[in-house]
Amino acid sequence: MAKILVVADIKQGVLKSSTTELLSKARALGAETAVVAMGSGIAPLAPELAKAGSDTQYIADDASLELFSAGPYAAAVVDAAGQFGADMVWFGFSESSKAVAPRVAAQLDAACATEITDVTLGDTVEVIRPAITNKVLQRVKINTDRLVAVVRAGAFEADEGITGSENVVQLAAPAPDTKAVVREIVSDTSGEIDLGDADIVVSVGRGARNEAGVELVHELAKDLDAAFGSSRAMVDAGFMPHNKQVGQTGRIVAPSLYMAIGISGAIQHLAGMNGSKVIMAVNKDPEAPIFNVADYGIVGDLFEVVPILREEIQKVRS
Amino acid sequence: MKILTTVKKVVDVELNIHVQDGAIVEDGLQYVINAWDESGVEAAVQLKENHGAETTLVSVGGGDNTDIIRRCYAMGIEKGIHVDDPALEKADSFIYARVLQKVFEKGDYDLVITGKQAQDTDNGQTGIILAEYLGLPCVSNVVGIEVIDDTHLKVTRSGDTGDEIVELALPAVVTVDVSINEPRLPQMRGLMMAKKKPIEKMDLAALGTSAEEIGCAAPKSEVVEFMPTEKRAGGRKFEGEAADITAEVVKLLAEEAKVL
Ligand SMILES: Cc1cc2nc3c(=O)[nH]c(=O)nc-3n(C[C@H](O)[C@H](O)[C@H](O)COP(=O)(O)OP(=O)(O)OC[C@H]3O[C@@H](n4cnc5c(N)ncnc54)[C@H](O)[C@@H]3O)c2cc1C
Ligand SMILES: Nc1ncnc2c1ncn2[C@@H]1O[C@H](COP(=O)(O)O)[C@@H](O)[C@H]1O
Repeated sequence: MAKILVVADIKQGVLKSSTTELLSKARALGAETAVVAMGSGIAPLAPELAKAGSDTQYIADDASLELFSAGPYAAAVVDAAGQFGADMVWFGFSESSKAVAPRVAAQLDAACATEITDVTLGDTVEVIRPAITNKVLQRVKINTDRLVAVVRAGAFEADEGITGSENVVQLAAPAPDTKAVVREIVSDTSGEIDLGDADIVVSVGRGARNEAGVELVHELAKDLDAAFGSSRAMVDAGFMPHNKQVGQTGRIVAPSLYMAIGISGAIQHLAGMNGSKVIMAVNKDPEAPIFNVADYGIVGDLFEVVPILREEIQKVRS
Repeated sequence: MKILTTVKKVVDVELNIHVQDGAIVEDGLQYVINAWDESGVEAAVQLKENHGAETTLVSVGGGDNTDIIRRCYAMGIEKGIHVDDPALEKADSFIYARVLQKVFEKGDYDLVITGKQAQDTDNGQTGIILAEYLGLPCVSNVVGIEVIDDTHLKVTRSGDTGDEIVELALPAVVTVDVSINEPRLPQMRGLMMAKKKPIEKMDLAALGTSAEEIGCAAPKSEVVEFMPTEKRAGGRKFEGEAADITAEVVKLLAEEAKVL
């Protein structure tokens, strides 16, 4: 039986849904499952980690792991993989995963596949993943005994009936990285809905022009309890923080509803959101490429359309 | 400071890409410098201009890379190394990282700047693996670099919950995101001058290694098939009076798509 170690995705003390999704897939493949979690004050999450579908929980809980640091996080994963005898280590999609996975692969002398959307076990292990800015899919054959993979957001579905058993193994705190010291994290967005969790994502693009435009679209997001995202143009212009960027080099999202407001629909943006269930777009240019992927496209000036949108949504929701 | 910046020649993603019989149709493809690497080159040149640094680029594989390397010369890079070898045909990120490791070890570099990701593979691995092979500290997805002193940088990494401010001891590896800068356009004069500049070309033997040592025969993974991406069928586009079409779309989102 294959042994799959899933790296728990914990952000600000909360276990993210990707962990359950990955464990569900691992169990569906008939694998033996374990989870590894790193952070400060996370030990109480053990029952939740078990319930997410793991039979062993490797936990590195230490004050030094408060701020994300790729080196120590990788060391904890490698430690757990060794103790568990993992054939595979799976990460959910996040910026931290992308930093840690290649380190773990190099240390385990394993293959590394990022952004995978499917995996098959058997005599030969294969994965499917998009490449070339989502213009093609690749079927990739893994030639090593071990594989480290980062799973694309939304690729696997959570099994509602999943459960596991609690069997906690404490990991020694890894040594801090004294050569790359994380001093602080700025633009804290706690209190705001994470892009990865939201059922609805509302994103703002250059069409919103300025701060007032951004605020207008933000109000729409708030009305909907939606996560508030951005195109790269608005990040580069300084109106939105880096971690709100949706797209190839930002966050990959797959919500039930994605609203693109004043976004042209460049391939790099589409690569981050075209897995959304329903896409709605507002753009004043009827030829904007976003309309090629939008299920519902409103051709119009966002400054006129967004206030009406808010009113109409209020009406149908009340 | 001696900087090594890595540059890959990649397929131009803005053009149409067709797949046939499990392979990408070569016809009509064009090749360009990887966008993330162009930002890496710009970052290296800015460090040179603002703090005095020696800048070298290395590109591995890709056949004729002359145009790309000259473009980087015109942006301000001083020296270019091109490693190519038939043995690299099936190279994965680990193999490229091994080659880059050899190049690093032949120089006396303080900083390696790689792109966060190559536009053809979208792997986002090579720079981080290189750092592991070299045993050097590494910060990925960097959107800002400041020099503290001769041996320390303050780098900004775009992380999950915000911008992470990291104090990085040299020698080190950073992988940069395109958001770090706006690469300059090479000027005609620079491009003319670049033509005269030599490019150091070498195969694995000239690099002082071999296909065996790099592990060329045993890539950890290989692409066995390309497939077209499933296209989203474009839906309905609504034009007309803003109040009317907006109300209609909201109704459809609620009643038809059931997502409100
Ligand atoms: C390597 C690389 C990686 C990249 N990664 C990403 C990424 O991760 N995410 C990302 O988003 N981009 C990314 N980009 C950038 C991408 O190519 C586009 O430049 C960017 O997405 C454009 O943002 P935008 O749609 O907001 O701006 P624009 O392309 O300028 O579009 C603005 C749109 O707003 C419309 N508009 C203007 N005024 C109004 C109005 N009053 N009402 C309604 N509509 C209006 C216009 O018609 C236009 O369609 C990347 C680029 C590269 C090269
Ligand atoms: N063949 C290569 N030559 C030079 N640099 C490379 C090569 N392959 C990868 N790199 C560097 O590693 C980065 C990440 O590549 P990848 O892991 O393929 O996404 C790229 O942006 C380049 O800077």
